[in-house]
Amino acid sequence: MESMTHNQLLNTNTPDPASNLRRPISWETIETLLHRVQKPGRYVGGEFNAVHKPWDAVTTRICLAFPDLYDLGMSNFALQILYDILNRREDILAERTYLPAPDMIAAMRQGNMPLYALESYHPVAAFDILAISTAYEQLFTNTLELLDLAGLPIRAADRDARHPLIVGGGHGAFNPEPMCDFFDIFIIGEAEEVILELVERFSQTRTLSREAQLQALLGIEGLYIPRFYRADYTVANAFAGITPLLPEVPVPVRRRIVGTLPPTPIHQIVPNIETTHDRGIIEIQRGCTHGCRFCQAGIITRPVRERPAEEIIQDVFAIAAATGYSEIGFLSLSSADHTEIETLLQTLQQQCSGLHLGFSLPSLRIDAFSVALAEGLTGSRKSGFTFAPEAATEALRRCINKEIHTEDLLTIAEEVFKRGWRTLKLYFMIGLPGETDEDILAIADLAHELRRIGVRFGGRKTEIHVSISTFVPKPQTAFQWEALADADTIARRQALLFQNLRGRGFKVSWNKYPGTSIEALLTRGDRRLNAIIERAWQLGARFDAWDEWWNLDAWEQALTELAPESFGSVEALREYFMYRERSENEVFPWDHLLSGVERRFLLQDAQRSRAGEFLSDCRGICHACGILHHYANHRGAEWRCPLPKSSKPATNQQTTGNENQL
Amino acid sequence: MNEQNPTTLRMRLMFATSGPLAYVSVLDLGRLWERALRRAAIPLRYSLGFNPRPKMQFAAPLPTGCGSEAEWLDIWLTEPCEPAAIATALAGTLPPDLHVIEITWVPEDAPALSELMRAVTYRVLLRDVVAAELETACAALLKEENVLRVKRGRRRHQHYDLRQLIETLSVTPALEPWTVALEMRLKAQAGATGRPDEVLSALGLADIPRRCTRTGLFLSSPAEAPDL
Ligand code: SF4
Repeated sequence: MESMTHNQLLNTNTPDPASNLRRPISWETIETLLHRVQKPGRYVGGEFNAVHKPWDAVTTRICLAFPDLYDLGMSNFALQILYDILNRREDILAERTYLPAPDMIAAMRQGNMPLYALESYHPVAAFDILAISTAYEQLFTNTLELLDLAGLPIRAADRDARHPLIVGGGHGAFNPEPMCDFFDIFIIGEAEEVILELVERFSQTRTLSREAQLQALLGIEGLYIPRFYRADYTVANAFAGITPLLPEVPVPVRRRIVGTLPPTPIHQIVPNIETTHDRGIIEIQRGCTHGCRFCQAGIITRPVRERPAEEIIQDVFAIAAATGYSEIGFLSLSSADHTEIETLLQTLQQQCSGLHLGFSLPSLRIDAFSVALAEGLTGSRKSGFTFAPEAATEALRRCINKEIHTEDLLTIAEEVFKRGWRTLKLYFMIGLPGETDEDILAIADLAHELRRIGVRFGGRKTEIHVSISTFVPKPQTAFQWEALADADTIARRQALLFQNLRGRGFKVSWNKYPGTSIEALLTRGDRRLNAIIERAWQLGARFDAWDEWWNLDAWEQALTELAPESFGSVEALREYFMYRERSENEVFPWDHLLSGVERRFLLQDAQRSRAGEFLSDCRGICHACGILHHYANHRGAEWRCPLPKSSKPATNQQTTGNENQL
Repeated sequence: MNEQNPTTLRMRLMFATSGPLAYVSVLDLGRLWERALRRAAIPLRYSLGFNPRPKMQFAAPLPTGCGSEAEWLDIWLTEPCEPAAIATALAGTLPPDLHVIEITWVPEDAPALSELMRAVTYRVLLRDVVAAELETACAALLKEENVLRVKRGRRRHQHYDLRQLIETLSVTPALEPWTVALEMRLKAQAGATGRPDEVLSALGLADIPRRCTRTGLFLSSPAEAPDL
């Protein structure tokens, strides 16, 4: 097993497995590899605003890791927030690391160089805590590669108190079971709320064993420590539930949230090389109330919390001065929903004229208001206007709760083309529950219709870009009970769409199905997937999100080797995790992790979906999803859930029979 | 150009880069300077249009993987600034491995530095290389009349004669952990620019760890050159 050798090499000849991983790597040593790799600027640090603290002047050292390329990881805002919060503390030091590209990984392995942090060049293994983003499933094999490149045993059971505490967090942590053997702890929810508590408690446990350290952390709300739970299975090999192994182990683990958005990091690290999102970032709003049924982010980031416009404006000028960025991106799941968005943009336009400062606003709605907003932004005409109707027919839009109507969409498109845009980008999903070929043909019809409108106003240069993704049922959503569409269905529908969208002025792109199916497998997997992920990684699977690097054969072989043990065959395993529609009473591997939105609410919403019913945006009327009930005491000034009429909490109708639900 | 010329809106910055900053591309370096100057609130002159860029010109693109002891950058302003004031404003806004050496006024109509470029000197520190062997290899390379190499473009490959671009090449001692230093002076004109890694490849040293530093830029007419 090639992939195991790095670890062994690093550890030879030393009684303490980590002693040669404690001293910083010299710049001269790092430099010996750099002439051999693409984009060496990824591996050197030295950015403006990076925080360099003396190693010995602090009590706790944390390495924040994003297990993909620097180019992507530098754009991850959650890690920037944590970096800021941690480094504000005098007794704590936080540094960063990313997964090097395959050429650098090969050079490092050949040169016996462990993964290091970009500030002090200390090996990652020298830190007290290693926090790794589990933002999405395609990072899972990379996580193992990162641990191994750091010279750390990948399995938690093989590590002890001499190794850093390995902490995961991010959206992927809402079903962390497929990775639970590799992490010591998952933070469920908003890490900025819990990280200091975690660090403080941990720093008092230095002399203890790893097991005892973790027991000491049990009292902290929002921490999920997988080793203190046992997974049970039925005789038919179905997942049967999670049982806590100690009396003080929490069930369920409830998501931590902040009442008010944390202060925006001002001194954001300015990368020396070009990165994916090369701009300053301000999170203007967290959470979303639209309730699209496929969207996990919209559930697990509730409630909507806004940053007041006045604060955003201050942040804009502070960030511009501290970073020199000429673009600031406003982060949110639905920008046009911010109650002060219009005033905000107007004020900024007035105050920023002549400063050569531009803004980008993601996730606009499909309405005239959003077109007006987009028009005020510099540069957006070049990149095209984006619509995300997700489905092309009324019936399917009802199913997914995307309340847009085709006539409105056409009117708004007219507005877009009239105002000078020449490219319209459309996002659709295929493989949605209840979808038929008609729904696919409707996508093509809609695209043709939109192009005709575009040509009328802007001529034959008009381009319609259709981007198709395959629907993946996600945990903690109304669609968690649904099946993934199989390969044949998706292939047929992609072909159907492609046949009907040929010719000038159309560009169609889609995600490759094999990649999607791995995501689908992992996202609703249980603990039995740990071994499969590990085996796939040993066989060379990594960079699962990268067309040029990912390795389907490794996954296929891992499944072939390991599926029979629990499932009899690969087909049976796929059927179980991916293609099976779940019954109402299904016990999910993530039932013990509570987002705050009740399972009862999700199930009702799933039933509404089948009945073709929209559920309105809940800013106006609360639909009692569970957030107000669970977080009544956390309510901050900028919450957008309506104030409850009475103090009566959301009732707890017993419809699921699931004991883990409050 | 030491005489007072406070009306010009064009300034010349001489700067040095080292360490991590040697590993950025010339495009990155441009972006990096733009951001540093914006942090310092220097009134940069921007182009018009959809995507305004500040007007800035480097003398000669610094190859990725090279630090420099002496780079020149011309910037254009919207209002006159004292060199000392710019230097003060830049203190604290530069990344750790970027250092300003000198700032001078330049007449607005002075020719672009890139037009004046003639040659560039580099020092390449090498490990695990024996001085005598390297000297022999250098002598052999210099004795050749032509050294044909291929420049890989995105679309097509171009053949060129590396030998014509090498003006001088010599071996000097170096401090630990390096074993030798290779000093070279390469042509740097439009369409005829030598790159140090090409010379290393021609010497059979493509895979040898190195630290490359640009040590000087040479302009065609001394009268036009900024004061050093
Ligand atoms: S508690 Fe009510 S208003 Fe708040 S997110 Fe849930 S449904 Fe919407």
